[in-house]
Amino acid sequence: MHRSLTLTTTPIDEARCIASAGLSDQMGAVIRFSGVVRAHENGETISGIEYEAFRSMVEHQFGLLFDQLAERWPAVGSVRLVHRLGFVPAGEPSLWVEVASPHRRDAFEACQWLIDSMKQVVPIWKRPRGGGG
Amino acid sequence: MIVSVHFWSYFCDLAGSPRTVVEIPAGGTVEDALRAVYAAHPRLAPLRNSTLIAVGVEYEGPSRVLQSGEEISLFPPVQGG
Repeated sequence: MHRSLTLTTTPIDEARCIASAGLSDQMGAVIRFSGVVRAHENGETISGIEYEAFRSMVEHQFGLLFDQLAERWPAVGSVRLVHRLGFVPAGEPSLWVEVASPHRRDAFEACQWLIDSMKQVVPIWKRPRGGGG
Repeated sequence: MIVSVHFWSYFCDLAGSPRTVVEIPAGGTVEDALRAVYAAHPRLAPLRNSTLIAVGVEYEGPSRVLQSGEEISLFPPVQGG
């Protein structure tokens, strides 16, 4: 399974991510997910979210998740994930995930599982910033 | 034995610093290190039940025996995405 993890402090360029896919012609289902920072958090308007990461552990834990994903969904041919760090303004994506497999069920299930699992074990934290910045 | 401790997210604020060191007996465990951390940083103690613990880049529990030079990280539940 092809795997790719990018941690970046610059905006996620989704068009560029898609253009660089390089997927095999066996991949009939490609799920792409963008997690976008909402302008409201707990009823308050915010300007964005500051993401903090324990980078070496983030990389290690994503590696373990990719291993588990490959074992649970052996048909999945490619997983790419981009997580933005630092300040992400409301309205911009903080997370981009692409999962490709020959058929849609594996791609949907694996993508959902990866994001759910990430939120359990990958050491990234967020701090909302108020409307004043 | 000296053990390094790294605090992440708001644990850093509660500890007043991102890092500290604690002294535990040779052959001591994560539990021994936690006891020392909570004695020095009592504001973290009430959060113990929700605290996640890593040694290096692996999650570990209180019974994990520590080796000299290893670093513990303490942090709240993760929130990526």
